[in-house]
Amino acid sequence: MDYQMQNTLLYVENLSVAYGEKVVIKDVSFVEKDVTREGSVTGQVIAVVGRSGRGKSTLFRALTGLIKPTTGKILIADVATGVENDAKEVHEGDVGFVDQKYTLFRNKTIYQALMFALRHKDFSKEEKHNTITKYLQEWGLEKAKDQYPCELSGGQRQRTAIIEQILCSGHYMVLDEPFSGLDIGNIEDVKKAFSLITSLHEFNTIIYSTHDIELAVELADSIYVIGYPTIDGKTADYGTIVKHVDMKERKLAWKEYGVEHLEVVKEIKAAMLTS
Amino acid sequence: MKKIFTPFENIGKNSRLLIILSWVILVAVFWFVSSMGERHLFPSPEQVGRGFRELYNEGLMVHVGSSLWLCLKAILIAITISLTITYLSTIPVVMPVARAISKLRYLPLTGITFYLAIIISNARTMQVWVLVVFMSTYLTTSLLSMVSSIEQEEFDHARSLQCNRWEVLWEVVIKGRMDHVIEVIRQNLAIVWMMLVTVESILVAAGGLGFLIKNSDKFMNHGRIIALQIVILFVGLSIDFILDYLRKAFFRYSKI
Ligand SMILES: Nc1ncnc2c1ncn2[C@@H]1O[C@H](COP(=O)(O)OP(=O)(O)OP(=O)(O)O)[C@@H](O)[C@H]1O
Ligand SMILES: [Mg+2]
Repeated sequence: MDYQMQNTLLYVENLSVAYGEKVVIKDVSFVEKDVTREGSVTGQVIAVVGRSGRGKSTLFRALTGLIKPTTGKILIADVATGVENDAKEVHEGDVGFVDQKYTLFRNKTIYQALMFALRHKDFSKEEKHNTITKYLQEWGLEKAKDQYPCELSGGQRQRTAIIEQILCSGHYMVLDEPFSGLDIGNIEDVKKAFSLITSLHEFNTIIYSTHDIELAVELADSIYVIGYPTIDGKTADYGTIVKHVDMKERKLAWKEYGVEHLEVVKEIKAAMLTS
Repeated sequence: MKKIFTPFENIGKNSRLLIILSWVILVAVFWFVSSMGERHLFPSPEQVGRGFRELYNEGLMVHVGSSLWLCLKAILIAITISLTITYLSTIPVVMPVARAISKLRYLPLTGITFYLAIIISNARTMQVWVLVVFMSTYLTTSLLSMVSSIEQEEFDHARSLQCNRWEVLWEVVIKGRMDHVIEVIRQNLAIVWMMLVTVESILVAAGGLGFLIKNSDKFMNHGRIIALQIVILFVGLSIDFILDYLRKAFFRYSKI
């Protein structure tokens, strides 16, 4: 399991977000680099876990450029310039985002929504149609393709939201609780999608949150725990990174789920319970 | 039997029909009883029937048509104004203007008519514009609340799909809420319809339902007034029904 770290893909420094007076997350800093492995294209899978209300969704809204951080900065790789290791501040639309509620356009059928997601791509209408049909088949949405969001089940909506972002976004994709409300078959579909996305390009990076720690440990190669920090024996009331597990360093990434993974699960759960 | 007196109880279709039928019969009986004797409260059914015939002979249909036409013109102008204001209200500079227009609904009608009278001399045009001014404030209020009830996630979803802000406005607010606009018109229709008849009877022009009411008042003709009330109620309800039907027919996803 040899790997190298290359270009910086995500650089978060001293990030804090407040809603009005209320500071939700503070002092969040981390760096994620492009991981390369001999003989395979390896994207990055980053999991964010933490108890409810600790600020995972808020962190994601900042990472996707949907809210302005109160302090600090978020840089992502700028691939448009062609300059090696060039970075830019994240801006809305740069990073794909599937929110916790799987929001879709209420007035577009699945097919229309996916067509819309492809609107900036410059291939022919027929190629677009074929691409969409391929995804609909793979994700089991063929029968529902002419249905509106209000006529879909939660799982169908979510898969639609994920495909939309795959079709539209660049290298980065943030998913807020992509595994909640899915049956075991759908969970497998999403896992497959993860490995598909990460095998497409070195830079492809998936950041997701989950309440299922096993799924975080199984899929991610880097895991962040967001929680309330303990400062001078007292628990603060803002979220920050209280623990980082680098699965690559521990030689557990890209491996079958085993006993060692279970140890990490325990470790993370313990960290969550005290924050 | 006990079921129909229990809150939140689900009842069958037949029971529901029976209940409605009994209420209708009850109202009919009340009408008959209360219209008997010397000093009656309501005109008898025959008097109302006569009222209908009189009205019909005086060209009721033309008057209904004339009121509907006025209503349609006023709604079209008012909704255009209100929609423009509402859509633009998503721009911070315009927001206060939109809010202010919505607040103007507390203005009394007489003040509006006074100023409009200075500009407009034709009674019919005057009616249209009084209604437009009046309706725009109400429609703007409802439309603004329609926009503010859109969840942040919907805007974020569009933004994450690389929509610029104008596209977000177009996709989420304008295209995405087309069905709500019809619903807003329908919700405000009751006030508009009531105002229309009032406006027609204050600013008397050649025709319209308000004109007929004014006429009937003069003769103290009870049967006629009730007949006219029934006509106005039913025309109003029909527009309501048609709008609801249109919304559901054109927007399959519309589940309001
Ligand atoms: N728009 C907002 N205005 C004010 N406070 C907010 C807003 N959104 C979230 N919060 C607060 O920020 C905190 C973090 O919320 P957030 O949604 O980020 O939590 P989360 O970790 O995603 O929780 P969950 O696991 O339940 O989804 C919560 O205490 C919440 O009350
Ligand atoms: Mg959340």
